[in-house]
Amino acid sequence: MTIEELKKYNGRNGSKAYIAYKNVVYDVTQSPLWQEGEHEGLHYAGEDLTIQLSGAPHGEEVFKNFPVVDTLEAYESQNSTISSLPWTFKMKVERWYQKYHPHPMTVHFPIALHLFAAGLDLLFLYDQKEAYALSVFYTFLVATIMGFVAMIPGILSWCVNYNLSTYPPFIIKLIVSILTLILGILNIGIYLENPDIVYSSSAFGIIYHGIVLLTGLSVIVLGYYGGKITWGDHSKMKTGQTIKDIHENEGILLKIPEEKNELLKQQDHQGLAILIGGAAGSGIDTIEKILSEAFKAYGYYVFSTKEFMSRVRGGSNSTLIRISDTPVHAPCWKVDVSIAMDEASLEHMQERWRSDTLVFADMEYSHNMPDIIPVEMKESAKKFGDLRYINTYMAGFVFGLLKLEKRALLESIGNHLKDDTLNVQVADEGYGAGTNVENITVAKLPQNNKQIMENLHLMDGTTASGFGFLAGGCNMVTSYPMSPSTGVLNFMASCSEKFTIIVEQSEDEIASLNMVLGGWYAGARAMTTTSGGGFALMGEALSLSGMTETPAVIYLAQRPGPATGLPTRSEQGDLNMAIYSGHGPFERIILAPGTLEECIECGYLAFELADRYQIPVIFLSDQHLADSMSTIGQIDFSAFEQHRYIIESDKAYKRYAETEDGISPRSVPGLGEGLVCSVSDEHDEVGQITEDHETRVRMIDKRSRRREMLHANAILPKISGNGNIAIIGWGSTYSAIEEALSLLDDPHLCHVHFSWVHPLGEKQLQVLEAYERKFVVENNADGIFADQLKLHGIKVDDMILQYNGFEFFADELAIMIENAVKEW
Amino acid sequence: MQNIFERENVDVAWCPGCGNFGILKLIKEVLEDLAVPKQQIVMVSGIGQAAKTPYYVDTNMFGGLHGRALPVATAIKAANPELTVIAEGGDGDMYGEGGNHFLHTIRRNPDIIHIVHNNMVYGLTKGQASPTSQQGFITKVQVSGVSNEPFNPLGVALSLKAGFVSRVNIGNYAHAKEVVKAAFIHRGYALVDIFQPCVTFNKINTYQWFKENTYILDDTYDHTDFDKAIKKAFETMPMPLGIIYQDKEHHATFEEHLRGKDTRPLYQTQHDLSKIQELFNGY
Repeated sequence: MTIEELKKYNGRNGSKAYIAYKNVVYDVTQSPLWQEGEHEGLHYAGEDLTIQLSGAPHGEEVFKNFPVVDTLEAYESQNSTISSLPWTFKMKVERWYQKYHPHPMTVHFPIALHLFAAGLDLLFLYDQKEAYALSVFYTFLVATIMGFVAMIPGILSWCVNYNLSTYPPFIIKLIVSILTLILGILNIGIYLENPDIVYSSSAFGIIYHGIVLLTGLSVIVLGYYGGKITWGDHSKMKTGQTIKDIHENEGILLKIPEEKNELLKQQDHQGLAILIGGAAGSGIDTIEKILSEAFKAYGYYVFSTKEFMSRVRGGSNSTLIRISDTPVHAPCWKVDVSIAMDEASLEHMQERWRSDTLVFADMEYSHNMPDIIPVEMKESAKKFGDLRYINTYMAGFVFGLLKLEKRALLESIGNHLKDDTLNVQVADEGYGAGTNVENITVAKLPQNNKQIMENLHLMDGTTASGFGFLAGGCNMVTSYPMSPSTGVLNFMASCSEKFTIIVEQSEDEIASLNMVLGGWYAGARAMTTTSGGGFALMGEALSLSGMTETPAVIYLAQRPGPATGLPTRSEQGDLNMAIYSGHGPFERIILAPGTLEECIECGYLAFELADRYQIPVIFLSDQHLADSMSTIGQIDFSAFEQHRYIIESDKAYKRYAETEDGISPRSVPGLGEGLVCSVSDEHDEVGQITEDHETRVRMIDKRSRRREMLHANAILPKISGNGNIAIIGWGSTYSAIEEALSLLDDPHLCHVHFSWVHPLGEKQLQVLEAYERKFVVENNADGIFADQLKLHGIKVDDMILQYNGFEFFADELAIMIENAVKEW
Repeated sequence: MQNIFERENVDVAWCPGCGNFGILKLIKEVLEDLAVPKQQIVMVSGIGQAAKTPYYVDTNMFGGLHGRALPVATAIKAANPELTVIAEGGDGDMYGEGGNHFLHTIRRNPDIIHIVHNNMVYGLTKGQASPTSQQGFITKVQVSGVSNEPFNPLGVALSLKAGFVSRVNIGNYAHAKEVVKAAFIHRGYALVDIFQPCVTFNKINTYQWFKENTYILDDTYDHTDFDKAIKKAFETMPMPLGIIYQDKEHHATFEEHLRGKDTRPLYQTQHDLSKIQELFNGY
């Protein structure tokens, strides 16, 4: 089987538990050590444990006991480089410590000795022989010393293996063992002061015997909780329930690492997450817009995103809306409320439910899922004459369910739907149905604050990018439509009536970029919008931009390839193409914004930089960033100074005049007395074709001289956190990493975000030197940016990659980061 | 007196006797006759022997990629409608590599002059068939002769309702000059397909061959009659020369459609930042 298939056998919820070791798959379902697919709370079924075994206190002999079920197909392991990477001394010590567990090894001595001392003391109390008294004392003495010996590695284990967890058994053990030690020392003192005290019934005599007997009991308590930590708390477990469920029900916040993973799934995100599923064309887009705007107007921070199939009708799509009282910019995988607008979406959304997710579906939908709350959505929509009213009905339902004032919702409907009177009625009815849902309370309902939200703007990455390009003075857009880049083309076209902007849909992407070059050559600020496949067609024109030193701006919204790939899904897979596309040596800049603010900033900068340096600038976005909506604060557009880096030519004008910084003053035809000659052949200063080998070298050197300026002016990575472990991301991963790190709340972790991804200069790379370990998070299969870092001599310890067509979800990413970091 | 469009210190790369020399001379003379300041003219070309023409004319030029002159020229005209924009190249460049742009530029109708040197062979790559090569033409690649139907630029342009469709033979210099001048004066997209022999790689379609297989349309031909034009476009052996079709009515050009009466070069325009602010605040 493949590693993907193996993952299904995780031993949870009644499935079989398989593990792999050295390409062999074993069935551990029957093993009492693998209940619910977990071993020691550290290892999980459904995984390849080859690497993990090296850190285990036992060897591979244990696998002999399990039936072999299959072999594991070779796969690209993200951890395969571990052994080849140099380790710091500290890491080696930690690794050694985790493997040998000195605490379980030493802890048995004091337990046995204290119990032995207590037993002997009982004997002494019955028959007061001197031999007993001496034996009691010396056993007690050694027990106390050994207790101290066991405590040191115990505390170390608590730090190293369990990350100072406040899980109650740890705290109990800590308190009890310290008390045992103090009492032990006290008792030894009492005895040494006067050994005859053992025969007396004075207060000290009673205390002495009391302590000997009490420590006998305290080590039982220590052993009991030690067992709980090692073997887990199975005592209260019912079938199908995991240890986490129990603690959750008891309201205990777990913070031990091995259980934190599950904990995150349960308590993964701030605010409330609502997932709405339905077919394409069923109005799921409309409900997203209506609800997002309504929630914002009501006073919530809003984030919404959609995942959809590449089809206009049918299929199964979903939209996620998160509302919160703190800013929220990333998606989460698990949701609190899930609404199925059609039957198929139930199954589609199922994997995103937790045990406590509230799921609503029409009563007519057939399914065999338990705990689905029926809603009369279809019948109600039909009453209004059209099944398509389900979306407005359910928008009303959600508002009713959350018991929010409906005014914000009804206004939003008025803003988005033409036929608003009927739609308002439908929503009102849905609202009524929502408020009437009994016995259900939606937990975690955030606090609203209308005042704050009034000063924020709700938009998607597409729109924010568009505002950046507008601010950059873009006045020509020539594009061939291609998902997910078309939104910017639409936005710019919608602006072309208010602003002087030429928008033309070209016959192909080759024409697009050639038109962009024609536009810049004649003095326009032109751009094209495309995705990977279209950009592939632009390679030659990109090279022409390089050769003729004609600026160009390319908005490249990535989607998963190769070829048509997954047209409506997300990936950061085109970075290599953006860096290397086009033949011959020439400079370029690649910007990859991660937030709405950065979209605006990079959009503006793209034009500024292209114009200033006379090179192509690629603005790298992706489906996730383009299509996700959230809030952005006030932007002062008057701060975006409008420059034009063109000069009036004189009679002797030379387009490619040699200059110190390699940038020749750029003029345009008709501006001045001179002529502007640009050619794709190698040329001299005038722009006349030449094959003179010396001129060739001079021209290449001239064109590449600006590299230093690019390095000097590169945007430095944005850093959040003070830890010494860098979680490095670029582009659209920004918000997911930010939220994941805030969920993990680990002071060792630090987010380093690159929005200027090429060319990488010394100043940017120096930033990374401060970090002891470096993990790169990328939404692609190859770790393209990590490769770029390696190429520049940066040591990357490991990569966290996802390439299933989805963007990173904050809750899942937190687990991935934690696991990757834990490996070390 | 020397033509003011004569470019100094250039080393012309064409073979002696090439038909391109005639076209170069013709272009320079027409430009001088029209008295357009050279700073206001942009010649755009792709790659090929014909596409080298702009290197030898003293005006602004953008020598781009093979087949891609038309999108560049269209954008230049849109970015600055005050410029006179010429797209020039050969049959392989414009009809082969750039065939798709040929179709869609006609549909856009930018006010540019499209000059195509048609010698029915590839010169720069040394003698392969071009889209307009006659059937049976033997080359090192088409070893048993060209089997493809020759591309008919006039028929294609007419099918897309091009406003000005013409063909000339550089062997009939005076006639050719007259038609090219009319193309410059036409407002909107104007195609001039110029027959021109390649003396090195095409031993079939020579000066003599073009002379024998073409005829000049006389005054009785009404070049505003679309139906007749369609017929003429498909005539072969001999092939008609002259303005095959010119639309009597003016149709809005690409740049007029996009910009209306605003002919300011785009480098003179700036967005009103307060309008951007207003738009943003509406979100």
